[in-house]
Amino acid sequence: MIHLDGVTKRYGDTVAVDDLTLDVAEGEVCVLIGPSGCGKTTTLRMINRLITPTSGRIMINGQDASELKAEELRRSLGYAIQSVGLFPHLDVAANIAVVPRLLGWDKPRLRGRARELLELVGLEPEQYMGKYPRQLSGGEAQRIGVARALAADPPVLLMDEPFGAVDPLNRGRLQGEFARIQRDLHKTVVFVTHDIDEAIRLADRIAIMRDGRLVQYDTPETILDNPVDHFVRDFVGSDRALKRLVRVPVRDVMDTAPPVARRSAGAKEMLAEVGRTRFVYLVDEQGRLTGWLDRAQLKGGCTVEDALSDADPAQVAVRPDASLKEALSRMLGLGFRSIAVVESDGRLVGQVTLGSVEGAMTESDEHQGARPAEHMAEYSAEDTSDDSVLESIASDDQGDCT
Amino acid sequence: MLTRSPDRVALTGAVLALVSALMLPAGTLRPNRLAQGDPHSWLAAGAILAVPMLALLLAVFASFLCSRSLRGHVLSSAGVLLIGGIALSLGALSESLMVDAPSIARVSIGSGTWLMLAGAAIVAFSGWQALMGKESASQGTHVRMVYPLATAAFLFAAVAFGGLDTISLAAEYGIRTAVFWPSVIAHLRLAGVSLVLGLAMGVPLGIIAARDARIRRVALGVTGIIQTIPSLAMLGLLIAPLAALSAAYPVLRQLGIRGIGETPAMIALTLYALLPIVRNTYVGLAEVDPAVVDAGRGMGMSRGQLLWRVEMPLALPLVLEGVRAGAVLLVGITAVTALVGARNLGSFIFEGLGQAAPDLILLGALPIIVLAIVADVGLSFIADAVTPKGVRAA
Ligand SMILES: Nc1ncnc2c1ncn2[C@@H]1O[C@H](COP(=O)(O)OP(=O)(O)OP(=O)(O)O)[C@@H](O)[C@H]1O
Ligand SMILES: [Mg+2]
Repeated sequence: MIHLDGVTKRYGDTVAVDDLTLDVAEGEVCVLIGPSGCGKTTTLRMINRLITPTSGRIMINGQDASELKAEELRRSLGYAIQSVGLFPHLDVAANIAVVPRLLGWDKPRLRGRARELLELVGLEPEQYMGKYPRQLSGGEAQRIGVARALAADPPVLLMDEPFGAVDPLNRGRLQGEFARIQRDLHKTVVFVTHDIDEAIRLADRIAIMRDGRLVQYDTPETILDNPVDHFVRDFVGSDRALKRLVRVPVRDVMDTAPPVARRSAGAKEMLAEVGRTRFVYLVDEQGRLTGWLDRAQLKGGCTVEDALSDADPAQVAVRPDASLKEALSRMLGLGFRSIAVVESDGRLVGQVTLGSVEGAMTESDEHQGARPAEHMAEYSAEDTSDDSVLESIASDDQGDCT
Repeated sequence: MLTRSPDRVALTGAVLALVSALMLPAGTLRPNRLAQGDPHSWLAAGAILAVPMLALLLAVFASFLCSRSLRGHVLSSAGVLLIGGIALSLGALSESLMVDAPSIARVSIGSGTWLMLAGAAIVAFSGWQALMGKESASQGTHVRMVYPLATAAFLFAAVAFGGLDTISLAAEYGIRTAVFWPSVIAHLRLAGVSLVLGLAMGVPLGIIAARDARIRRVALGVTGIIQTIPSLAMLGLLIAPLAALSAAYPVLRQLGIRGIGETPAMIALTLYALLPIVRNTYVGLAEVDPAVVDAGRGMGMSRGQLLWRVEMPLALPLVLEGVRAGAVLLVGITAVTALVGARNLGSFIFEGLGQAAPDLILLGALPIIVLAIVADVGLSFIADAVTPKGVRAA
């Protein structure tokens, strides 16, 4: 789909891009990554002809880009620029609709599309449609920039650090969203980032660049397993085992039958369940996570209501399309041995345990011949409560806890 | 927000008004329109002025205790009331002086009156400024417009009912009613047409200047030099070549193109309008965030689309600011072109200078000042209205 053939760009004495040859197949995500100033933006802008290469050839869909009409080429390549560049005099809806308007869509369709895209990037349409760029935070503006690039549904997307200014929580969510859209739409994407985790998570292939040269161009797995040199090894970092978890979405390893009790069912049932499993998630009538009950919290003289913990799903749960690495770091951060998996509407759909993370690590290490991560064993179940406490509570449901 | 710090500008205006009321003559009674006369103080005008004067002083001091937007209204009202009071008092004074005087006698406006008006205008203007300030901009422009309208209404009332029609300036107007309004129209037309011509040439020039550094240097250099040529010299320079052209080509003469009259005037004025318009168009375009232009190009906008849909809307407030500066400039310089035979308000000034008749000079100068203020306020109004919502100051 996109083919760069010995492309070089010189600015006087500086060589911004040096003899770059790169193939991006149709429907593939190619992530360009490398230190600041290594030529990522320059490469992207040569593809849509904002920059003319000093030498070399760029083919798009089998046609020499330099022979296409620049404006038409650009309208078929959605471009999210590094500095966002929203139009200050247009509101958010009009900003998103720029390219469709150039293509002559009618008004209702433009607004419908803007609304759709705002939802996609996680911004409430009614609240944001009429805002002006100066009323947006950096991260919000960046998301509008992404929506704008997607607006006319172009077959190719060029995205220059599209989530650079978004906070980690929303970034993770947007990456999940991006991965999900990509599964359905199969765009051809060239994606620039500084974030190796982001690259590993989203890329079909990663192009690691340095001083304008392509150092390695491979699948994330190959780059993690067989870095071609010290530069790539250092760039990827020492925690390569952990990084592999970035590639694994939670939904692939989650336990879809977690211990669960209805809160409305009453103390008896909750205690019965917790007696069996030591730990139980509590849900409401609609199956939404509202809290949990841990046997370790039960002490003599306490009611169940005192012992259970209320849960804010945004804090203590992950989404099915989050990465396993995210799930692991949330567990470690919270000091949990398992973490709930909830859908966007709050419904509990499963749980991830440290054991399943360990399993996933072992699996991905196996073809490399590495040993399983032994330190994980320390986290295996340790139980501090004993059954007598449980019984004292079961018999004294209304006792008070001081 | 309470601000107890005194507004120095308003205070200065109030003191100026008070001191001139006490120390300087309100008007001069002359035996005829050219002779020297006897000054008459405000004390002769009776107590009519005392009420607004006192109200003004109280208001200025009270305003220091008010919130910013309230202070704006207090000061503006005080200034407007005082202007009205002065106009009415002057009418009363003039009427009382003229009762015993022969009919060729004239009452001219005295230095005390001018300075009081200046002081009152300063007070009103400082209030207006407070209203234009950022915090109170949300109050809407309509409220602010009350004050200029009220001032106009007061002045009209003073002329129609307050005896102001007996002062010398009104007498000069009475003699020249037939030519006064045509002169106003000629003045506006000459300045207006030249401004439109300047706009038609200046905006494209500004656009090209923003694209090409070499053209920019030439365009800004040349228009800058034009601005430094004194208007009289400019008109003089134009007479000879235009006269020669018109002599050589009778067609041109039939079209009204001659060495004197409206043609050199219009050429000179158009040239003067160029600098503010070219410069502001260029600066407005140059100040557009490069990332915005880049995004537009990256999305496949053509140069024309980029210019008209992105760059010009963003540059528009500055372009209009240039138009405003140009308009005020032209209203003034148009008066000078009366010297080369373009009949307009400037003609009264030069006639008055020739006859040593100060009130005739005023008959030309005052309307020019009013026109310049109206152009200034009107165009900044338009600039406000067309500034895109997303780039308006919060
Ligand atoms: N217009 C230009 N003139 C001269 N040098 C330039 C120009 N644009 C880019 N360069 C140089 O080319 C090199 C590559 O720039 P580029 O913008 O592609 O880097 P990048 O990889 O996108 O960096 P970052 O991660 O910081 O965005 C840099 O050394 C930069 O200084
Ligand atoms: Mg870059």
